[in-house]
Amino acid sequence: MALTGDLKTFNFVDILQIIAKDRKSGILLVEWADITVAYYVKDGQIIFARPVDRVFRVYAERDFDLLIEKLRISKDNLSKTVERFLVDRLNLKDGVFSFTPGFVKYASNNYGIVFPIEKIIMMASRGLLQEEVERKISDEMLIFEPAENIQDIIKRAELTPEEQKVLSLVNGERTVFDIRKDSGLDNLTVDRALYGLLALGVIKRKKKEKKQKPSIALDLLMKIIERIKEL
Amino acid sequence: MRTIKKIKIVIAGPFAAGKTQFINTVSEIKTVKTERRTQAAGEKNVKDYTTVAMDFGKIRIDDEHELYLFGTPGQSRFDFMWEILGEGALGIIILVDSTDPSTFHEARKIINFFSSRFPVPMVVGANKQDLPNAWSPDDVATALDISEEEDIPVLPVSAIDKESVKRVLLTLLEIIKTELTS
Repeated sequence: MALTGDLKTFNFVDILQIIAKDRKSGILLVEWADITVAYYVKDGQIIFARPVDRVFRVYAERDFDLLIEKLRISKDNLSKTVERFLVDRLNLKDGVFSFTPGFVKYASNNYGIVFPIEKIIMMASRGLLQEEVERKISDEMLIFEPAENIQDIIKRAELTPEEQKVLSLVNGERTVFDIRKDSGLDNLTVDRALYGLLALGVIKRKKKEKKQKPSIALDLLMKIIERIKEL
Repeated sequence: MRTIKKIKIVIAGPFAAGKTQFINTVSEIKTVKTERRTQAAGEKNVKDYTTVAMDFGKIRIDDEHELYLFGTPGQSRFDFMWEILGEGALGIIILVDSTDPSTFHEARKIINFFSSRFPVPMVVGANKQDLPNAWSPDDVATALDISEEEDIPVLPVSAIDKESVKRVLLTLLEIIKTELTS
């Protein structure tokens, strides 16, 4: 099932978050205003990018190793295509995307990842506009807490000193307002960092402490359940 | 005359998520709607009419009780109605159009709104799963930043399909039952 959308309303941080989460494999196709680029995704990492004039070719050439051999691209140069056709375009907002999982065959398990997806997510978050960060950092009273087992992710993300500072202030008690104030950084820098860290999964929204006990008798609830089943 | 006690479940979600249809599909009465013609340019392209106050449908439980399904308006400019409708709700269902990622961020804001004000059980319905370009519930959950710890299941649903709507309602009710008996 393809995931489709528009970069204006679902930016690159959001897309890469989806790809990274379950270590998806497949093809991410982005129709930019000037060119269409196919991004080859293997186990949640973008390993190769190439502009395409005819999209059907992407879906016809399923053997990845045969493809790069045909294109005369060495494994060492794969990351340069990612840099040129993705990293340099992360701040462009005009484009539509579709991600189709599966179907590309990879012979190797090592294509030399220079730009881990975690690093690209943070790069993309640094270029988010105010209106984009507000979609997730929508309330200065939001509270985030650190996730567990995040050291490897942080290492691959190559956080800037500002992002590290923001991360260090996330403790499950400080609000977004507090983090902005305590960091001494401008609001947009803090919010971009939080947006990226949330996408990486190294921070998460703090769980509400206690839900209220439902105000209904058990026998009435059971009646409702039975009634719904009968419908 | 015997008074009928009303039990309330709220159906919320972004504009055009399928809330009115969801209620229509299981309601025993013709859904009571408060619709007006859409005005905003972006909205007119999606549908001609939109809910401006609330929709409701109901299901008779027994001689003394009725289950009301209240649908909220989708646009955040009507969020004063969310506050009114959320009061006293037994549970909340957030519907999301799985085919339209441009609404996912709005859906997250709605989840935040209700969970911060009404700490009652909540489920998310990843609606329009019958359409070919629907995102899977797992991908919708990731896009909405719903972590496992939040205890908000994201369920596949097609609001035009009665069994599918019933499954979402029953999941919410089973969560309520678990909370009641724990």
